[in-house]
Amino acid sequence: MKPRFVRLRGWRSPRAAQYFGQRFVALCFGVTALSAFAAVLKIEMPIETDVFKTGSGSEIANAQCLICHSVEYVSTQPPLPRAFWKASIEKMQTKYGAPVPNEQVDALVGYLVKTYGVEAAAKTNSAVSAPDTIFKPRLIPTSSDGAQLATANGCFGCHNVEKKIVGPPFQQVAAKYKGDLAGSAKVMRQITEGGSGQWGTIPMPPVKHLSAEEVRILSDWILAQQP
Amino acid sequence: MSQGHHQNTVAVSRRRFLYSAGLAGVGGLLDNAWDKISAADTMTLPFVNGQRPLVKYPQKRPLIRLTTRPPQLETPFSVFNEGVITPNDAFFVRYHLSESPPTAVNADTFSLEIKGRVNSPVSFSMAELKAKFQPLETVGVLQCSGNSRAFLKPRVAGGQLGNGAMGNARWKGVRLKDVLSKAGVAAGAKQVTFNGLDAPVIEKTPDYIKALDIDHALDGEVMLAYEMNGEDLPMLNGYPLRLIVPGYYGTYWVKHVNEISVVDAVFNGYWMNPAYRIPDNDCACVEPGTTPKGTIPIGRHNVRSFITSQADGAQIKAGQVTEVKGIAFDGGYGIQQVLFSEDGGKTWREADLGKDLGKYSFREWQIHFTPKRADWYTLEVKATNRIGQSQPLEALWNPSGYMRNVVEAIRVQAI
Repeated sequence: MKPRFVRLRGWRSPRAAQYFGQRFVALCFGVTALSAFAAVLKIEMPIETDVFKTGSGSEIANAQCLICHSVEYVSTQPPLPRAFWKASIEKMQTKYGAPVPNEQVDALVGYLVKTYGVEAAAKTNSAVSAPDTIFKPRLIPTSSDGAQLATANGCFGCHNVEKKIVGPPFQQVAAKYKGDLAGSAKVMRQITEGGSGQWGTIPMPPVKHLSAEEVRILSDWILAQQP
Repeated sequence: MSQGHHQNTVAVSRRRFLYSAGLAGVGGLLDNAWDKISAADTMTLPFVNGQRPLVKYPQKRPLIRLTTRPPQLETPFSVFNEGVITPNDAFFVRYHLSESPPTAVNADTFSLEIKGRVNSPVSFSMAELKAKFQPLETVGVLQCSGNSRAFLKPRVAGGQLGNGAMGNARWKGVRLKDVLSKAGVAAGAKQVTFNGLDAPVIEKTPDYIKALDIDHALDGEVMLAYEMNGEDLPMLNGYPLRLIVPGYYGTYWVKHVNEISVVDAVFNGYWMNPAYRIPDNDCACVEPGTTPKGTIPIGRHNVRSFITSQADGAQIKAGQVTEVKGIAFDGGYGIQQVLFSEDGGKTWREADLGKDLGKYSFREWQIHFTPKRADWYTLEVKATNRIGQSQPLEALWNPSGYMRNVVEAIRVQAI
């Protein structure tokens, strides 16, 4: 259907939320069974409240991107490079008719790649993969991130991603099991059962306190450390 | 681990969403802590940046929210173990345009317009559609083209979906062929286009219009449905009328459809070209990271199968019989065989197939598995359809992340 009217804002946008307030979903069914009433189905969608993370350029993202879509169209993407975000904005301009002024494009690209793209991911990763991470007692994980689990559970006391310390570097483990469908089961077994012989003589203690889910996440993360 | 094709793992923040013994263990540990951290229910899908809220929408139970506007909601994978039919309130939702869904539809005044290369343009009310045409019921899978996109390696941009952008429903409606014949398709007709009530917020944004070849539109299987699993369509699934294109990806199943045009040329609107296109070759794939030489519109589903009874990382009992079950489907030839492996694909056994609800439906399967000792086991499932199409052991890749159908694997721990 053609747009009924041109608006610069979706009515369900965060700005609209200021007017409508934080109402919860209410649902009114048309009374289709009774012909005396019109068969109207009405719904009320949850109000959109999220805006872009504050940073240099977020004001452009809030002003431009939120005209047509909510923040998750950006925030749920995997870490993507600058070239992707630049091409994506061009596509919004040329294919979708987004009124992003050309002079704002560079600033918007910079904001997106630093806040949601590879440059944001690089910041996070360097923080968690530091080789000299101090052992901390196990914390309740609030994230499924394998690197965080490895940090929180002291894996980095004996393992490094690239270098051999006491145990094998995770890259070497990942390389050994590359293409081996049963590889993850072997790594999970090594984590839960411990043992020695495969990589050296110093035995690895069994890690018994992790849940199956945590062992799986940790194993996936280790096997993703391809050299 | 070959392609990291381990499916349907979830970590859920509240006990009531837990569905396997293995995950229940996590819940027991974390329930209280996570309740404090997070006011809303969340779910973590097993890929980078996979945290999602579970949100209740009109006529829906809490679903995995991918995006708020336009709305995209994914079905939690545990739903597929509840039965071969996906309940309406759990069925996934995917819109393309910001002015959607319509917030109110009056079925008494709604009308479907048939126009273009027809002998006599005509409109039908919902009452006329129900009264004037022989009704038809089809059980069929509706699957998003980008279902499972987030599992691609390397990752691609687009809706970052797990495996829950699919569902199987009993659709009731009328044949498109019958409706078109009332208007009379004129000579020279090449395609039929479909438009619905959803709309863009900016005038320059292309409206969501899809096209089918005329022969396809007249095949007697494509239908206009007004019921889903014995009820009116939920608003978020296209109330009061949506196009059903059995065996084809969801992009063609236009919701709230109110405008059908017969055209005399291939329709090349944005949502047909360049959107929703796949590499023009047998596998619809290219070397990861490369661009296809030519593209064609996406078409039929390829073959897929899933284990639904256990989640990745679940715990089972060593030395005891475990029932493993799941679903399989294809693009409309019907499932012939489902093979199951408990040793990471070294050996395969044939699973028992469940009731046949038609060639477009999910087909249930089941098999018994007895883990001999306490250990981790890699379970895999692979289906073949009646024309011999099956699933690849290594994931195929295309730049849009469409049509993923690698053999799925889960790891379970026998204790």
